[in-house]
Amino acid sequence: MNAVANLANLTSLDDERLLIQAAQSDPSRFAELYESNFNRVYAFVARRVKDREEAQDVTADVFHQALRNLSRFQWRGVPFAAWLLRIAANALADRWQRAGREVPADSAELEAESSPADVVEIERRAMLFQLVDRLPADQRLVVVRRFVEQKSIREIAQELGRSEGAVKQLQFRALETLREQVRKSDE
Amino acid sequence: MSNISVYDELDQAIEQMLQHQLASPSFPQKAQNGAGEQKQRDPEAPSLADEGNIGELIELAADLRDLPRANFRSRLKLELEWEAAGRRISAGDTDQQAVRGAATSGEILPSLFGKSWAGYPVRRRNFALSVALHAVMAFLVGATFLMVKSYVPRVEPQPNVTIRLEPYPVPIGAHPSSGGGSGGAAEPIRASKGMAPPAAQEQLTPPIILRNNAQPRLAATATVIAPPDLSFPRTREIGDPLSALAAPSNGPGVGGGIGGRAGGGVGGDGGGPGRGPGSKGGCCGGIYSAGDGVSIPRAIYSPEPEFSEEARRSKYQGEVTMLATIGADGRPRDLLVVRSLGMGLDEKALEAVRTWRFEPGKKDGRPVAVQMNIIVSFHLF
Repeated sequence: MNAVANLANLTSLDDERLLIQAAQSDPSRFAELYESNFNRVYAFVARRVKDREEAQDVTADVFHQALRNLSRFQWRGVPFAAWLLRIAANALADRWQRAGREVPADSAELEAESSPADVVEIERRAMLFQLVDRLPADQRLVVVRRFVEQKSIREIAQELGRSEGAVKQLQFRALETLREQVRKSDE
Repeated sequence: MSNISVYDELDQAIEQMLQHQLASPSFPQKAQNGAGEQKQRDPEAPSLADEGNIGELIELAADLRDLPRANFRSRLKLELEWEAAGRRISAGDTDQQAVRGAATSGEILPSLFGKSWAGYPVRRRNFALSVALHAVMAFLVGATFLMVKSYVPRVEPQPNVTIRLEPYPVPIGAHPSSGGGSGGAAEPIRASKGMAPPAAQEQLTPPIILRNNAQPRLAATATVIAPPDLSFPRTREIGDPLSALAAPSNGPGVGGGIGGRAGGGVGGDGGGPGRGPGSKGGCCGGIYSAGDGVSIPRAIYSPEPEFSEEARRSKYQGEVTMLATIGADGRPRDLLVVRSLGMGLDEKALEAVRTWRFEPGKKDGRPVAVQMNIIVSFHLF
C-alpha cells in the first residue's frame, strides 16, 4: 500500500480540503488542521531526533512554517499531512546541517512518503499518543509521570498520595488499555 | 523466594528500560525471563498468560517515552492562534527548558527575550509600549512636580485710583465770591482789546494799558486776583479780552485796572480785582467757590479712570489735579488740568471725570455752579 494512500485513508480528503480552504481564507481555522495532524507530525519527528525537547522544537517549527506558507499550499489530492511531513523532513535536514552533522546515510528516511513501513509506524505512534489522551485521568497521570517525566513509582505514589502498589496497578492498567485500543485499531 | 505480581514484574522491566534506555525488541523478553526466574508470582495478580505477552506492554512503554510534555500541545496551539490572528510572537523555543536557556543567555529581562515563565510567548511590542508609556508618565509627573515647585505667582499691578474732591480755595477773604472784576483809569473810551493779565492770589499792581510812569522805581507784575493756576489766552498786549477796540485805553472806570468799573480788575461789569463778569475777584462771573454759605458739590456717580497702558508698563503713578466747574445741573465742565502727571494719565482722568455726575453745590438752598479741585491719584499697589 502506498504510504500517501495510507495517510489519505486516515482522514476524509474532502473534509480536509474544505478545512484547508477555510484556513487559507481565515488563518484562525488553522487550529483544526493542527489538531488533526499534531500527533502525526510529532511522531514523525520524535523517531528522528535524540530527545523530546528537540522533537518539540522541530514540531513547533513545522507548524509555524506551515501556517506562514499555508496560502501557497495547492490542493492536488495529497493529504495535508504529507505536506507537513515534507516540511518536517526539510526542517530536520536544515537542523542537522546547522549543527554540523551529516545527513544520515539513509537519507530516504527523511522523505515522508519514501518508506511505507515508516509511515505505518508513524501512524501507529500517532494513534498511541492520541489514545493516551483518552485514558482515564488517574491512568493518564501515571503514564505522564512515569514515561514523560520518568519519575519512580515511589515518587508518583507520594505525589498522588497512594500506595506504590496502587500506582503500579494503574501503570499496568494504562498499558493494558492502550494495547487493547491499538489492537482494535489494527483490526 | 518472594511473591511478585505482574505489576511488579512489569514495573521492574519498565524501570530497567528507563534506566538503560533500552528499546530493542529483545529487551522485553529478557526482562520477562529474568523476572520469571528469580521471583514467584502473586497468586491474586493476573498472570502473564491471562494478560498476554508482557513484551507488548514494554514496547508500548518504550514508545510512550517519546510522548510530548503535557502542556506542549496546547501551548503550541496557543502560539499558532496568536500568529494566525496577525500578532507576532517571539521566536524561540516553546518549552520550559528553552525558557531556562533563554534566561541563562540573557540574565537581564529573560522573559523579554524569550518566553514568560508561564510559558506564554512574550509580545515585545507590548513591552516596549509599556516602557514608553511609563517613561512618559514619569516625565509628566516629574515635570509637574518641578513646575509646581518653581512656580512663583505673578502679581499683576492693580491700578488703584483715589479721587479727592477739594474745594477750590477762596482767593479773597471770607466774602462770598462770584468772580469777575473791572477797573479803569477814567478814560473817555472803553478799554482796548488785549490779553488778560496773569492771575494771582494777591494783587500788587492792577493791570494798566497806558502807563503814566514808564520807569517805576519798584516794578511789579500787573495781576488780577483769580486762581493762580488759571491760564488765560495770551496776546501781546494787556487789555480786555472782551473788547473790540484797538485804540489803547484803560477804560472809563476808576481805581486802576482795565474796564468800566472800579476795583483793579479786568473787563467785568461788577467791579473788583478779578477778571470777567462778576465782582469781588475771581473769574468769569456766576461761579462760586465752596465755603462761606456755598456747599461743596458731592460726586454721586464717579467711575474710576483707567490706567493707561503706558503708565502700567512703566509702573508710573502719581496724582492729576484738575480744576473743574460743577454746574448747577451737577455736570462737570471747564475741566482744566492744573497739575499734570503725563503718560496718558491726564487724558484718562479727564475722560473719566467728564462722565461724572454731582449733587451740585448750593447757596441759600439753590444749586449754583461751584469751582473746585478734583485730584485723581493713580496708584499701582
